[in-house]
Amino acid sequence: MQEAISITQISKSYERKIALSSLSFTVNKGELVALIGPSGAGKTTLLNLLAAILPPSQGHILIDRQPLSELMDHKKRAKKIGIIRQQFDLVGELPVIHNVLAGRLSEWGIFKSILSMLVPQDKEYAVQALIRVGLTDKLYEKTSSLSGGEQQRVALARLLVQSPEIVLADEPVASLDPARAEDVLELLVKIALEENQTLIASLHSVEYARKYFDRLIALKDGEIFFDLPASSVTDDHINSLYRLKELS
Amino acid sequence: MDKRWLNFELHKRKILTLILLLAFMLSLFFVEWHSNLIHSGGFITAKQIAAAFFTPDLSGDILLLALESSWTTLSYAAAGMSLVIIIAFFFGIFASGILVSEGKIKRYIRPLFRGQLGIMRAIHELVWAWLFVASIGLSSFAAIFALAIPYGGILGRIFADMLEDIPREPIKALEAAGASKIQALWYGYLPMVRASITSYAMYRFECAIRSSAIMSFVGIGGLGYQIQLSLDDLHYDEVWTFVFFLIALVLIIDLWSNQLRKRLVQ
Repeated sequence: MQEAISITQISKSYERKIALSSLSFTVNKGELVALIGPSGAGKTTLLNLLAAILPPSQGHILIDRQPLSELMDHKKRAKKIGIIRQQFDLVGELPVIHNVLAGRLSEWGIFKSILSMLVPQDKEYAVQALIRVGLTDKLYEKTSSLSGGEQQRVALARLLVQSPEIVLADEPVASLDPARAEDVLELLVKIALEENQTLIASLHSVEYARKYFDRLIALKDGEIFFDLPASSVTDDHINSLYRLKELS
Repeated sequence: MDKRWLNFELHKRKILTLILLLAFMLSLFFVEWHSNLIHSGGFITAKQIAAAFFTPDLSGDILLLALESSWTTLSYAAAGMSLVIIIAFFFGIFASGILVSEGKIKRYIRPLFRGQLGIMRAIHELVWAWLFVASIGLSSFAAIFALAIPYGGILGRIFADMLEDIPREPIKALEAAGASKIQALWYGYLPMVRASITSYAMYRFECAIRSSAIMSFVGIGGLGYQIQLSLDDLHYDEVWTFVFFLIALVLIIDLWSNQLRKRLVQ
């Protein structure tokens, strides 16, 4: 198995508060990893470190055996790592097609990206991506007029066009109702499998994490609480993960 | 008695109100209450002006003149606004600092352009008009430049503020997808402020028409100039004709602005 991500002794602290303390793990190519754990455990911080949005206080991150800190050209980084968050990531004022084609911006120069606003460039990419997420007829609709679930599908379509090797998803379904959430999550996992992407998603729902992912990494108070294949995670594990301090 | 009741913090607003009230009442004693306080003939003139409101001069000559002056006023305003939009676009983008990354350069660029915008709008368009008339004479360019500079300062400042105030998440997402600063401007910032900046620019266009009318008092021509001439001749009926044309101009711009906004917001 080829290593996609390797983290050694990563720590991150804000001011005095420690968000993550010496985390180490590796993720293989094509693995589907769910990050679970109570609020404030450090899930978002970990994803932000992996996305190079935040620098780690200590330790290093290797992406494809290359230090992440050397991957500073964000156009090249966009080919390696893609991010999907809650639905606020789209530009609501633009038609769906431009939000999807924004996934091509790392490939385009300035002239082509400005021209595309008038005459959409590489349109087939957007059409194909929207077919795969099941939004064929919404190409020219204003993005903000779409429902929350549809908007998250548009974000997935953008990710398809961007086509990174690693997908980081930070609570991708947190603001959706259960039916919509399961829909989007299923699609996210399906695409990752089809595209042979490595997927790391933070989730509130342990149920979804066990259903759709291969491996569960549980964080608690900035440390790894357990790191197990989804099949061997028991209810006892989960209960002790979410148990409040006072009760333990 | 409870000691807290004597606390200054608790009553400072009431005390200020009392002082202001006293100052006002005191000021009344310094007014010289005699018949010259209001110009004695003023009342008759006011009555004449009010009466003329109902009998505006609608003769062909005056209507033609009003139409012509409206066109002059409108064209000054439109030419001025075209310059304003160009100034505001570039200055606004640099004054918002969104094209440069956090750090040293941004610390200089942002205040530099914000300062320039400040200087531009610190001087009123009438003062600019005097300056330009003094330097380049009574030409149309004097009026257009006089309008463009302070309005560019205002619109540029608002544009910069709008660009800085939009939600950050979509921009961060664009950058994560590999967008450069200029691409993020085109795909994130500009679409997000488009509706509000258009509607504010239209409002400024409305103001520009009023200003352009006033500016003609400097002797550049237009509705304001005609109003001044008619006032000097005591032809109040003509004054009202010109004023009605001015109102009509502003209302037409307002209608246009509403149409435009409806299209952008839906």
